[in-house]
Amino acid sequence: MLINALLGFIQALLLLLLTPLFTGISRKLRARIQTRKGAPILQDYYDLAKLFSRQEMVTKNAGPIFKWMPAIYLGSYFAIAMGLPLLTANSPIPFLADVITIIYLLAVPRFFFALASIDTSSSFAGVGGVRELIVSTLVEPGMMLSLIVVALLAGTTSITEISIMNLTGNIPALMAFVVAGIAFAYCTYIELGKLPYDLAEAEQELQEGPLTEYSGASLAFLKLGMGLKQLVMLGLFIAIFLPFGASLDGSFISVVLAAVILIVEILVIYFIVGIIENVVARVRFANASHQIWVSLGIASLAFVFLIVGI
Amino acid sequence: MFALETLSISALAAIAVPFIGALIIALTKRSSAKYIAILFAFVSLAASLFNSYVYFANGKAVTTFNYLSLGDANLIGFIFDNLSTLLAPAFVGIGLLVLIYAKGYLNEKNREHADVGHKRFYALFLVFIGAMAGLAYSSTILSQLIFFEITGACSWGLIGYYQSDAAHSSSDKALIVTHIASLGMFLASAVLFIMTGTFELTALSQIEGPWKIFVLLCIMFAAWGKSAQLPLYMWLPSAMTAPTPVSAYLHGGSMVKVGVYVYARAIYSAGSIPESVAWVGIIGAIITLVFSFIEYLPQKDMKRLLAFSTISQLSYIFLALSVAALAVAQGQGLQEGAAQMAFNGGVSHIFNHAFAKTLFFLVAGTIAFTVGMRDLTRMGGLIKNMPIVGVAFVCAALAVAGVPPFSGFFSKFQIFAGGFLVAQNSWLLLLIMIVALIETLACFAWFLMWINRAVLGEPSKEIASAQDVPGEIKFVLGVLIVMTVVSSFMAAAWLG
Amino acid sequence: MTFGAVSIVLISIAISAVGAIVALLFKSNFSLNKNLSSVIGIVAALYGIYAGFLGMTGQGELVSYATPFPFASLSLLVNPLSGLLLFVLSLLALVAWIYGLSYMDEYKKQGAMTFGFFMHTFILSMALVVLADNAFWFLVFFELMSLTSYFLVTIEQSKASTHAGLMYMVMAHAGLLMIMAAFLMFGSQAGSLEFEAFRQTQLSPVLASTVFLLTFIGFGIKAGMIPFHSWLPLAHPSAPSNISALMSGGMIKIGIFGIVKVAFDLLQGSEQMIWWGIVIIGFGAVSSLLGIIYALVENDVKRFLAYSSVENIGIILLGVGVSLVGVASGNNVLAILGLAGGLFHLLNHAVFKGLLFLGAGSITFAAHTKNMELLGGLGRLMPITATCFLIGSLAISALPPLNGFVSEWLIYQGLFNSIMSEGIVVMIVSAVAIVALALTGALAVTCFVKAYGVSFAGSPRSDQAANAKEVPAPMKIAMLILAVFCVILGVGAHFIVPVFSSIAKATALSQGAEVTASVALVNPASSAFTSTFVIAVVLLIAILVARLIHNIFGGNQFGEKVALPWATGYKPDVEMAVTATTFATGVEHFYDFFYDLRRNLSSGKGGVARAFDSIVNGARNIEPVSDKYLVDDTVRDVESMSEKIRRIASGDFQKYVLYIVGALIVLLALAVIL
Repeated sequence: MLINALLGFIQALLLLLLTPLFTGISRKLRARIQTRKGAPILQDYYDLAKLFSRQEMVTKNAGPIFKWMPAIYLGSYFAIAMGLPLLTANSPIPFLADVITIIYLLAVPRFFFALASIDTSSSFAGVGGVRELIVSTLVEPGMMLSLIVVALLAGTTSITEISIMNLTGNIPALMAFVVAGIAFAYCTYIELGKLPYDLAEAEQELQEGPLTEYSGASLAFLKLGMGLKQLVMLGLFIAIFLPFGASLDGSFISVVLAAVILIVEILVIYFIVGIIENVVARVRFANASHQIWVSLGIASLAFVFLIVGI
Repeated sequence: MFALETLSISALAAIAVPFIGALIIALTKRSSAKYIAILFAFVSLAASLFNSYVYFANGKAVTTFNYLSLGDANLIGFIFDNLSTLLAPAFVGIGLLVLIYAKGYLNEKNREHADVGHKRFYALFLVFIGAMAGLAYSSTILSQLIFFEITGACSWGLIGYYQSDAAHSSSDKALIVTHIASLGMFLASAVLFIMTGTFELTALSQIEGPWKIFVLLCIMFAAWGKSAQLPLYMWLPSAMTAPTPVSAYLHGGSMVKVGVYVYARAIYSAGSIPESVAWVGIIGAIITLVFSFIEYLPQKDMKRLLAFSTISQLSYIFLALSVAALAVAQGQGLQEGAAQMAFNGGVSHIFNHAFAKTLFFLVAGTIAFTVGMRDLTRMGGLIKNMPIVGVAFVCAALAVAGVPPFSGFFSKFQIFAGGFLVAQNSWLLLLIMIVALIETLACFAWFLMWINRAVLGEPSKEIASAQDVPGEIKFVLGVLIVMTVVSSFMAAAWLG
Repeated sequence: MTFGAVSIVLISIAISAVGAIVALLFKSNFSLNKNLSSVIGIVAALYGIYAGFLGMTGQGELVSYATPFPFASLSLLVNPLSGLLLFVLSLLALVAWIYGLSYMDEYKKQGAMTFGFFMHTFILSMALVVLADNAFWFLVFFELMSLTSYFLVTIEQSKASTHAGLMYMVMAHAGLLMIMAAFLMFGSQAGSLEFEAFRQTQLSPVLASTVFLLTFIGFGIKAGMIPFHSWLPLAHPSAPSNISALMSGGMIKIGIFGIVKVAFDLLQGSEQMIWWGIVIIGFGAVSSLLGIIYALVENDVKRFLAYSSVENIGIILLGVGVSLVGVASGNNVLAILGLAGGLFHLLNHAVFKGLLFLGAGSITFAAHTKNMELLGGLGRLMPITATCFLIGSLAISALPPLNGFVSEWLIYQGLFNSIMSEGIVVMIVSAVAIVALALTGALAVTCFVKAYGVSFAGSPRSDQAANAKEVPAPMKIAMLILAVFCVILGVGAHFIVPVFSSIAKATALSQGAEVTASVALVNPASSAFTSTFVIAVVLLIAILVARLIHNIFGGNQFGEKVALPWATGYKPDVEMAVTATTFATGVEHFYDFFYDLRRNLSSGKGGVARAFDSIVNGARNIEPVSDKYLVDDTVRDVESMSEKIRRIASGDFQKYVLYIVGALIVLLALAVIL
């Protein structure tokens, strides 16, 4: 039990340490597409170190929520990362690896994120927080339905079992699985907060939204946390739909191999995401629902395929 | 202890004492009239309670006494059973309470009708009380008829008490309509005598065939008239020109109950009952029920609203008794199952409604006394200025509407239970019961709306300037408030 | 001498009755009356909690007392289901009385007599409803419960509260009459009004379904299910806050209790249908979604809590419906999972909604306003209230590891199982329900971030909010008790849920199923599991470590600097910050379909009012008809006839002699002829 917990910790730590690297790669990709040279890939590490040495500013009337939010945000995503079956097909902390548990655990940092944005009494932050919540209401149904379709295929909501089903290739209705995968991929993309669904931060509109009033170490935590969130969402997607490479027996060699394959998979996805986000503009908030609800439509299609049995 | 024979004397006492009292009032000063009336009414109540006690102590043995016979024909007789021993003390007791109320009401301080309390009021009222006791104890149709007519005559005098033009025409209307109704009683007694040679009510069970239908329908017609059902209802709303104690007693507590009581006795004694009679009763009741509810809606005068409410509650009783009759017609005995449930429900409702409606009328009268008006739309915030009147209003309204823990619910439940049981065999009856259920909801909503406007909230201008409520009135309201909670348990325990 | 559960609960009820009388007696001395009433209430509640606990874990006990009514003996039954309700009601009564020790001061004008008397009678009538095992007494106490709460809802006697009371009472009465009709139909077949007889009776499918539908709607009105919910957002805000907590946390659960009792317990003799369960799931899904959607646009703290109750009733109904499907199709695990989830959510909602209502009461106590637009920044002025409200908000948003998450997880698993194992209709309905539940969850997070954020976070938007002070100790204690329960029921779920699975087993009359395993909650049919305990530990450690690192390595060596929020160079104003309306407009934009629906249905009210007016006019016209045609004409004819006849009596002596002679001649003629 304890060894598993340690493995989970290492897994989450790995993701955490790699977060600035991936955000750096993403930034470099954007620069290249825009035919600039761009900052070095390791720039984000330097930025974080610098932020830690700065003084923090606190808005007037902000309370303990404002001060604790960065820790809660980062801590929650770290905890979720500990539970994902990424390096091993059997989740390190299986109590966390349930579809419904994860979806609701994702709501914990979101709750405090939006709450802290209101606590700042800043209009930019507040609007960003509200948008974050509203976007989550639009995405959640599609996300839940697509994951439930996959869970129905595996006969359980335990992500470990789903992962193993995928690895061993015993998928009862392949079409349903694929279509659900498409739906969930779309939802994940929205949750990544990348263009065109960059609604909460919306640099041009909202000045980074909820991050506006944060500074110093808190800002560092938040930036790290937001990056970690992206990795966690991708990790969830990979664990369910692309678990190839996850170690089935837990031996040292296979775990290291799994880590390498995981990093490669993330890189590939980041590359694809990077291309998409740099060729589109942000969706207008008022029209966002029409687009985002398409995910629910696709997930419903997957459900129909499930019923029919293909 | 007391043998059943004592009943023959005490029954006579309960009936005769008020008549004697009326005579005494006629011969003495006006100022002592009210005290004499209260005293004699009290004696009559004591006598009727004594009757009930003796009946109970002797194991509830049904007893009949004959006073006047012509050969084989029993003309006048008294019967003591569950029905009479429950209702007679109620009628007399309510009469006593109203007399006490009248002492505080009929004087110059009355803002609506300043008055002096004439002797004829008290005398006629006492006679009325005696006649009600007589009717309750009657075992022959002839004695029922006699007391029926006496009450009619007294009501003419009492309704027209204020002697204005409106009072005259309403008292005339009341007398004429109820007298037309009494034609039914005349015909029924004649046919009964011709067919069986006696006027005993129990002889009804000996008649068969179309004559039985005729007799029962005649009695029903008489009952309809006296209890203001369609098509003989119009005298009751007009009779609201009477002084409130009269309305409370006659139109809430007793006179309108004469009709249902006569009908109940007929069903009780009739043995087998033809189905057609029961159906006529049911259909008549439900039509009157719906019609009287619709007539609630435009009413602004509190007493007129109460008049229509009385009509609809009486329809419930008619419905209950007719459903019991239907069950008997379909082969059940009156002492078992659905028939008993419906019949007891109807009789309990007579008992419960008497107290509740009397209370409600007296509330209207108290407001008229202290403020000088009866317009519901100008009442507000009663509970703040006159708390006892406010509480009485709420208790009376909820008791009439049938909300537990007030009495009306318990009798209405029995009526519905009996109705649903019998309706198992008839979808038409089920439909009728559902209409009745909807009406009870609508009635409740309507009353609650008036409670909201009249009792709760800030006192309206008129209520804020009200004068004090006299002690006698407070006492009577208090007793009746207690009765609205307790009466259903008493009735259920008595009817067993 | 061992006291069984029934004796203990009777003691509790008797103590409440004493409390009611005491409240009536001490009319003039407000604080003495209040303190005495509250202490008696607390004692009664403690007995009630103990009795409920015994009932939940015991076998079931039935006693019967004779009454004047031969068809209705007073039968009282303590079984696991009624024990659970007793526990819930008594717990809420306990905190309501403790809270009232300070809170009742707000109602000094209305007097402790009214408040105390009706609160005691309300609590004891709710206890008696839950215990009653005879249809007649059930109805009596059910209506008594509505009546006593009516007087509490209208206690302020303002126009708004009397209107609320009217709507509430009329709808409650309509529900009562439906239930009465159903019970009477049932009783006709069973031959008695005792529930014991009901249990043995087999009804025909048509009759059983009629009884089910009538009681579903009747109890649904009491539970506040859509579309019968309109009384809830009117009544709960008008009542005093601790009464709202009792009503929302306790009374509407009696609606659920009724549905469960009829469908699972009383109808056990007949064949229960799958479509009944589907109907319940359908109404549950709609209620949960519409409830939270309507809650989101409210600016009155208590109104939106009322709508949120509608949402949670929907969630409980989902669990109940799933379980009924399981019972009807013989699926044991489904039956247990659904009912355990639904009943646990019943307890959880009572706890966190009670907490939130008490919090709302504290807000109004301190800031003297219910309008969220005027609040803000209360968190720093009222830290304990804020913490408790935060815990309540987290719990109701079903965030792990608190109690709301546990019951929703169980219900999700129940819905999942029903998709796996049942027919196509159930599959589709359950899938829709899962989507609705997910959407509801996300909307609930939005709603409560708004509620907490707009009220407690940020800057004060009015002087009242800026001058608010923390509430007195009794109110704090009451809130803290419930907050602690939220945490314990969540983190300690693996101890608590087995109790609920045994209650479910007893109620659904099925085989047992293991829903927990060491620290985890388990779905026995699919081997899915989760553990709030582990989640709590992991989250706590992760967050605390993060905070530690933040403090050690962060820039705190320079201290914190306070600054105004950035407003592109302008001086920031409180108007610039986010308010409740910001949330409302955002949500309204995307979900406008539902708000338009409500608008369109309400505009139908005009038509109803017009129809009503025409009926009243018609009645007014009919009134004089009988007088005009029957009486007046007759009177006129009689009078004119008598006028003509009067001429005979002319007063002339000679005419009279003529009459006499004429008559004599006629008589002689007759005598001769005959």
